[in-house]
Amino acid sequence: MNRREVIRNVALMLGGTFSAPTIMAMDKWETFTSPNNNDSSFSLTETQQKILAEIAEMIIPKTDTPGAKDVGVPAFIVMMLNDCYREPEHQSFLDGLASMEKVKFLSLKADERTGVLKLLEQETKKITSKVTPFWRLMKELTLLGYFTSEAGLKASFEYVQIPGKLELIKLKPNQKSFAY
Amino acid sequence: MTKNKLKIMNLNIKANKNNTFDAIVVGSGMSGGFAAKELTERGLKVLMIERGHEIKHIEGYDTAMKEPWDFEHRGKTTNISAEERWANSRFWGLGSEEVVNHLTNDKENPYIEIRAFDWIRAYHTGGKSMHWGRQSYRWGKHDFEANAKEGIGIDWPIRYEDLEPWYTHVEKFVGVSGQKEGLEVLPDGHFLPAMPLFAPEAHFKNKMFEKFNRPVTVGRVANLTQAQDIHTKLGRGSCQYRNKCNRGCPYGAYYSSLSGSIPAAMRTNRLSILHDSIVSEIIYDEQKKRATGVRIINQNTMQTEDFFAKIIFLNAGSINTAALMLNSKSNRFQNGFGNDSDQVGRNLMDHQLGSGASATVDGFEDDYVYGQRPNAMYIPRFRNWGNDKQTAYLRGFGYQGGAVRDGWERGVAADGFGDDFKQSLTKPGPWSIRIGGFGEILPDPNNRIFLDPVKKDKWGIPMIVTDAAFVENDWAMRKDIVASAVEMLETAGFKNVTPYDRPTHMGLGIHDMGTARMGRDPKTSVLNAFNQVHDCKNVFVTDGAAMTSASCVNPSITYMALTARAADFAVKALKKKEL
Repeated sequence: MNRREVIRNVALMLGGTFSAPTIMAMDKWETFTSPNNNDSSFSLTETQQKILAEIAEMIIPKTDTPGAKDVGVPAFIVMMLNDCYREPEHQSFLDGLASMEKVKFLSLKADERTGVLKLLEQETKKITSKVTPFWRLMKELTLLGYFTSEAGLKASFEYVQIPGKLELIKLKPNQKSFAY
Repeated sequence: MTKNKLKIMNLNIKANKNNTFDAIVVGSGMSGGFAAKELTERGLKVLMIERGHEIKHIEGYDTAMKEPWDFEHRGKTTNISAEERWANSRFWGLGSEEVVNHLTNDKENPYIEIRAFDWIRAYHTGGKSMHWGRQSYRWGKHDFEANAKEGIGIDWPIRYEDLEPWYTHVEKFVGVSGQKEGLEVLPDGHFLPAMPLFAPEAHFKNKMFEKFNRPVTVGRVANLTQAQDIHTKLGRGSCQYRNKCNRGCPYGAYYSSLSGSIPAAMRTNRLSILHDSIVSEIIYDEQKKRATGVRIINQNTMQTEDFFAKIIFLNAGSINTAALMLNSKSNRFQNGFGNDSDQVGRNLMDHQLGSGASATVDGFEDDYVYGQRPNAMYIPRFRNWGNDKQTAYLRGFGYQGGAVRDGWERGVAADGFGDDFKQSLTKPGPWSIRIGGFGEILPDPNNRIFLDPVKKDKWGIPMIVTDAAFVENDWAMRKDIVASAVEMLETAGFKNVTPYDRPTHMGLGIHDMGTARMGRDPKTSVLNAFNQVHDCKNVFVTDGAAMTSASCVNPSITYMALTARAADFAVKALKKKEL
């Protein structure tokens, strides 16, 4: 299945809401290369930052507990990419953001955005390159940034600073994980 | 929190008119700490010399009480750390900001690799005893006999019975939690209460016994499950099950030189510690035919100074101990101190690490754990043991590993995002299990370290060159480590059994040893049965360098037992004026 067909399928799944220009733009996804190719410093445009924040929030949305944006995940991701990742991952991340720009991600409706991410998730599984793909970077850094932030951790888990004992226990219904 | 009131004081050299002690101990790590304790407790005035900076027990553990969100990079290795700690960060997690500042900056302390060696170093008070995995297993009788039986390397000059009382002595002081099993392959010791196996591990244990007649036990670990008087008197408390040992324990609940041997030695008022002082050579007196002291270079001021003692214990870590001997040349020892045999620096060994298998576990959904166990389960060696006879390789391996309920991290590779996904990750995931092999490596004279003839470090000391690699026996064993792990996990009924075999070098086991081996014959060994340098009896080597073979069990308590035994011998000999 080529990319155009995949996109058509997603479009059909969503009730044909993708516009022709969007599909054409997404079609160029594969051949697109970022102008930042040889630049080891990593920075994002305002649009790219907005896209990153929206995707992070879609991965961990605000519910009755804080969401990714509430705990500063978008800035965390940029900082982590700068400090802990190198050029190949930077490029992979920028390529991913560029493709999101091509589909005008920020102009899409909520269900279209969901469709794009679902497509992205499935497409990512086909990537065999050793370089971590965009979606995987987005996910690992969003989850890391959220679940280890003070607000995210405390809202999600039962935080135990000093257990003081080691005990085999039975899980109660709906019991949250312990975090240490 | 239990506060350790004992303070480690820096010796003020200028105020000390006399640089003479009864004993000098080079190194403050696992074996150096123990040497200092044993020698001071027997009445000797000891100078311990540490090449790195001072870390104080408890207050020096700067990350110990940090919350997860206090770490800017949340435990990931930064690019800067990876460059500065280029060797240390080859090991899992050692580049993390939880620990990285307590590991040696490799960029400032480079070594040369002809064949790559993962040299993990911690140049500070306590050395790697602050960072060890704490697994504590006695060697078996077979471990001391194997070289002679198989014609590998040279024979050990001692047997299990020589070390047995010293194992007990060490275990009581250190505090080792474990389960007595009555196994010949893994002798029982003096244990504190054992930690529990988790439900899938208990299932695994039963299956392994049923299908293979292979025992499985909980790890024997130097964490105080129940602190005894001998521990609390030093300010050590029981384990709080945070499993943050790698940061240094503010409760002193796991054993290190910092929490155990150094406070014990300080208590005698006979220990002085000199930090930031790199021992560059052993001073040999040609007339007296004995070593009279050591020369140090202050790592910050570059100043040199000599210190003198009746006996010298070398505990710098096997590679640095060998390098120090090789750099100590005199008319008598033109090939390096104590190196008539040409064995100093050779027979570098380690343990195989980084291969095994993992699996997912169905069931046990109701089973969960409160607290974090700083330990694993242990599968003692079963190869070339009893009726098992392997044709592809000699010796054997043990496995360490265990079962965990997956945390939020499972979400990274899983499909999904959004409300339900977020909610699901707040609950414990399914169990998974992993076992990894620790394999015995044979002594090989071609696996070695030596000094570069030209290149020097910033203190003018010749740079250390590593030239070692796994040989055929090791590769054959490694293949079986993976295959047997797969077989055992599948037999236990676990799912998605996945082998792993991380590309690695020697050194990753962080059990470097063998570079100044013990033996009976001065022509083929460096040390005698009491760890004395054959040709200069007032110098003892009791760190990993002394090892004649490697066994497959973690070595630290064996180093400590050898050290205590040698210290006892040395003091008795001194009193009889035989040294």
